[in-house]
Amino acid sequence: MKISLDWLSDFVDLADLPPEQIADRLTLCIAEVEGFEVLRRSVRGVVVGEVVAAEPLPASYPGARLHLAEVDCGTRRFTTVCGAPNLRVGMKAPFAPPGAVLAGGTRIEVSELAGHRSEGVLCSAMELGLSRWHEVLLECPPAIANGTPLVQYIPEQDVIFEIDNKSLTHRPDLWGHYGVARELAAIFRRPLRPLPMADLAPYDHLPPYPLQIDDPEGCPCYGCIEFEVPAAAPAPLVIQRRLHALGQRTFGLLVDLTNYVMWELAQPTHAFDGQRVHAIRVAPLGKPGTFTTLDGQQRALLPDDLLIWNESEPVALAGIMGGLNSEVQPSTQRVLLESANFKASRIRRTSVRLDLRTESAQRFEKSQPPANVKAGIARMLRLIDEAGVPCRVTRRFTLAGDLKDGYRPLDMPRHCLSTMAGQDIPEAETLAILHALGFQARFEGDRLHVGIPPHRSEKDISIPADITEEVLRIYGYGRIEPRMPQLSIAPPYVETALRTEHKARRLLAGAHAFIEVHTYGWFDDQWLAALGFSPRGALELRNPSAQQNRLLRTTLLPNLLALVRPNRAHREAFRLFEIGRVYWAGPAQECVERSRLAGISFQNADWPPLEEHFRSIKGAIEDLGRFLNCGDLVLRSGAPAEAPWQIPSLWANVCRQDRPVGAIGVLAGPILQTVATQGQVVWFELELEELQGPLFPEPRYTPVPTYPRSWQDFSLVWDLDQGFARLEERLNRFHHPLVQRREFLVLYKGKGLPPGKGSYSFRYWIGAQDHTLSGEEIEQFRNAMLQFLAAENIPLRV
Amino acid sequence: MDEIRQQFLADLGRAQTAKEIEEVRIRYLGRKGAITTLLKRTDFSRLPADQRRELGRRLNELKAFAEEQLARAAEAAADRPAEVAHERLDLTLPGTSRRLGAIHPIALVQMELEDVFQSMGFMVLGGFEVELEYYNFDALNIPPDHPARDMQDTYWLANGMLLRTHTSANQVRALERFGAPLRAIFPGRCFRYEAIDASHENTFYQLEGLMVDRAISVANLIAVMKALLARIFGREVTVRLRPGFFPFVEPGFELDVQCLLCGGAGCGTCKQSGWIELIPCGLVHPRVLEFGRVDPAVYSGFAFGLGLTRMAMMKYGIPDIRLMNAGDIRFYEQFPAAV
Repeated sequence: MKISLDWLSDFVDLADLPPEQIADRLTLCIAEVEGFEVLRRSVRGVVVGEVVAAEPLPASYPGARLHLAEVDCGTRRFTTVCGAPNLRVGMKAPFAPPGAVLAGGTRIEVSELAGHRSEGVLCSAMELGLSRWHEVLLECPPAIANGTPLVQYIPEQDVIFEIDNKSLTHRPDLWGHYGVARELAAIFRRPLRPLPMADLAPYDHLPPYPLQIDDPEGCPCYGCIEFEVPAAAPAPLVIQRRLHALGQRTFGLLVDLTNYVMWELAQPTHAFDGQRVHAIRVAPLGKPGTFTTLDGQQRALLPDDLLIWNESEPVALAGIMGGLNSEVQPSTQRVLLESANFKASRIRRTSVRLDLRTESAQRFEKSQPPANVKAGIARMLRLIDEAGVPCRVTRRFTLAGDLKDGYRPLDMPRHCLSTMAGQDIPEAETLAILHALGFQARFEGDRLHVGIPPHRSEKDISIPADITEEVLRIYGYGRIEPRMPQLSIAPPYVETALRTEHKARRLLAGAHAFIEVHTYGWFDDQWLAALGFSPRGALELRNPSAQQNRLLRTTLLPNLLALVRPNRAHREAFRLFEIGRVYWAGPAQECVERSRLAGISFQNADWPPLEEHFRSIKGAIEDLGRFLNCGDLVLRSGAPAEAPWQIPSLWANVCRQDRPVGAIGVLAGPILQTVATQGQVVWFELELEELQGPLFPEPRYTPVPTYPRSWQDFSLVWDLDQGFARLEERLNRFHHPLVQRREFLVLYKGKGLPPGKGSYSFRYWIGAQDHTLSGEEIEQFRNAMLQFLAAENIPLRV
Repeated sequence: MDEIRQQFLADLGRAQTAKEIEEVRIRYLGRKGAITTLLKRTDFSRLPADQRRELGRRLNELKAFAEEQLARAAEAAADRPAEVAHERLDLTLPGTSRRLGAIHPIALVQMELEDVFQSMGFMVLGGFEVELEYYNFDALNIPPDHPARDMQDTYWLANGMLLRTHTSANQVRALERFGAPLRAIFPGRCFRYEAIDASHENTFYQLEGLMVDRAISVANLIAVMKALLARIFGREVTVRLRPGFFPFVEPGFELDVQCLLCGGAGCGTCKQSGWIELIPCGLVHPRVLEFGRVDPAVYSGFAFGLGLTRMAMMKYGIPDIRLMNAGDIRFYEQFPAAV
């Protein structure tokens, strides 16, 4: 939202304040000022000239329609070559005679153009530094005497503040200069001049305009007035300079004034060609259809889109844009002026869908007050009057719906403000601030009675906290002294889930060299297809960022596996993990959401061998179980595979007390090729909620042995295909009172062993509570063990 | 004589053990030692009296010097621990520990902030990433036609749920579950339908805070925020409040911190303004308390939102938000698991 200091000065005196200070106070008291720009215009030496003759020149430049124009500047006449399309005899426009310096530093000289002497330049807005519009000459009202210095109407300088639109969404009144002026008057404690309005009562004897609202929910209030006016006459230069300063192009009196009223009062109005419309009806389209807006675009409409109808023909897209069929023409003499109020959400829905974000739509979206329906028209008529053009009202101001232009009462406890602030806010200052902002306010007993002015929307101001904000922001938040709350102490509840996440992070990254990464919460269809994975029950996004990202992840692994390829270029080996949520549709719930921990470990080289690689990751998971105090995590082969990375005999469930809490495995075959081309990839994924244990360990002390213990080692030859777990099962059958612990030392494969066999070395720790073992006892144990092994048919390695 | 003196010092310098020192003593002061021999062999009688006296003085001086040096060396050797035979060991070779892994920078900041808030008596709660429209919007007093609900800003699910657009979605859930008084923070992942560039992501982390008690005021909000920021930045910070509009707070603020780099003078980091916009906050809207079944006539509170992703970027000097989710280990490796 652009705000002109020149315009504000109509309503409040700010001339003595540096723009920095104004911007700063606006930011601290209302909304963020993104910056300000000093607009410097090149009007010195430029005068108002009248085109008294124009002779077309043969087209010496392709596409250019040049004229040799004679310009009367009061004391002197100049001839100039001019290519402006709107040049015509009788018009007045700014003329820069030789010696004048225009925007960009161009000094005007007598020159020769298209074979003719050209003694100066007729100017567009851009040449004067008013704006970037350069297509046409800036047209001046005919009442200005030829030769008048332009600087009398267009001062050399203005300051344009840019306020962040996003911080104004709740303030419909700040979408116009008068609203901002009111705030500045309150901030700087200066008087606010009233906005001059025309009195509409004198026209009350005229016939009303035929008007009907069929959709009062979409259009709570509609006002209009019909009058005769030269619609295309040039608007006063004060109007034009201000519109240009905001970047608005100027067209002619009626269109310029509707824009002016909008930028001043925030109330959009619309001028229809009075010859084209005869009776107004506000109603939705009712069926799908199309409508051509005045920019010439045909728009596809839905039944609910609100339209303004002339009898049975739509003439405007309500609150957004007029129709091509009823636009004000250069010849228009009779105008129907609309000033209406539309429901914010309806306007927003239609304008967003059509991507037609007009200034008008942006303002209606913020919930303009219905009171502005009448104010918009009264202000418009006043401006026409000030412009000095003839104007004859033919139909009186006609209104349908409720203006709601009274103050809305709000009653609050007298001390509410001070309580919310946390310190005493002087009551006299409270009243002064509220009055300056246009509120009614008085203290009575233990109450503060407030009247909320119509220019503040109900969405913005409806409860005591809103009044508090109004006062405090002008009072100054910087004047509030920080004060710590006085509270009772109670130990807060601790959510174990988050602690579990952090502990898992600390262990994997702190002790097992894992690197934590984040990936997106959705899958990539192409990658899933490459992996050969089709997720079950995945939730679907209605509006994904890209079509292939429409499924939410049901597992963390695919996105992690996708990181192998890009990272293997940088490292020979790496371990990654992610802690994140997965989601799917449950049988009884719309969404099941779980916190998961997944990891991958990649190694490019063959050594250490895959089995060692796998054991190191398995060890990390076993560590995790102990670190999270959730007991031993063990692997169980079992469940049928659900995903392509679960390759038969290369994966297992991770179980906590027989309940699966995750899975671990290694890649091989085509999926290894897809993920890594070559090398080793170990993966795992765990349900974090299933891994919660006490925050702190709770071991039970057992007495430390008083007498030294001994050990005996056995290397057992065992079938590699049978595997370690089966051997362990067999060894578990051996019971002996002296055995305290069995420790697996190493697996040896290779020379000296029969094919398919391995040598598994175990250490048995033996001892007694009450004495040191004798050599005899040790021998007895050894014999018992050897007997057991013989019975079990497990040979010793010799 | 000077030669002998130099040689003696060199030999003694090489002697480390008591045994070696004794060997030096014998070599110089023993019966056949160099100094002893020099003393013995010199025929003083053939020298003139003045020379005789001078030479005698110098020889005795040398002997005394050698004795003193030997005594000192023996003393030093006695203080040294006894030598033990051992294999060669190079203490300067690098350690072979497995390298420390890394924790995501956002998680690091989150863990740090959780510590700070827990020390101030706040609970830390999780919440859901797939959320009901009710908790993300309705219960936060965000009207049905609010722009934030549009398809442009929110990821909607086919089943009518959504990906939460802010951790504020936890406010009413927490009030329902714990009632008042309440002190809690909610860190977590949020999603907004946005085009991605160096400073915009569709997936980012926030940390929402909520404090509800009797007579919680703007003055309290400022004090708690200042204490918090002092802990985060390790020094006192100057803050200012200015109006900010969020439907679930009233009044609503943007809390700015005076730029820590330039101290408010204006620099590139603060875009010459001297201030950095850091924490949107405000007093909890009475409607939100009502949605949480807390009586706004009895209780009031404040809420605030910290951008965890943004804090991590500021704290570690990360210039591009896209690095956070890009999966490049050369980025993540820079954040050691030192927590």
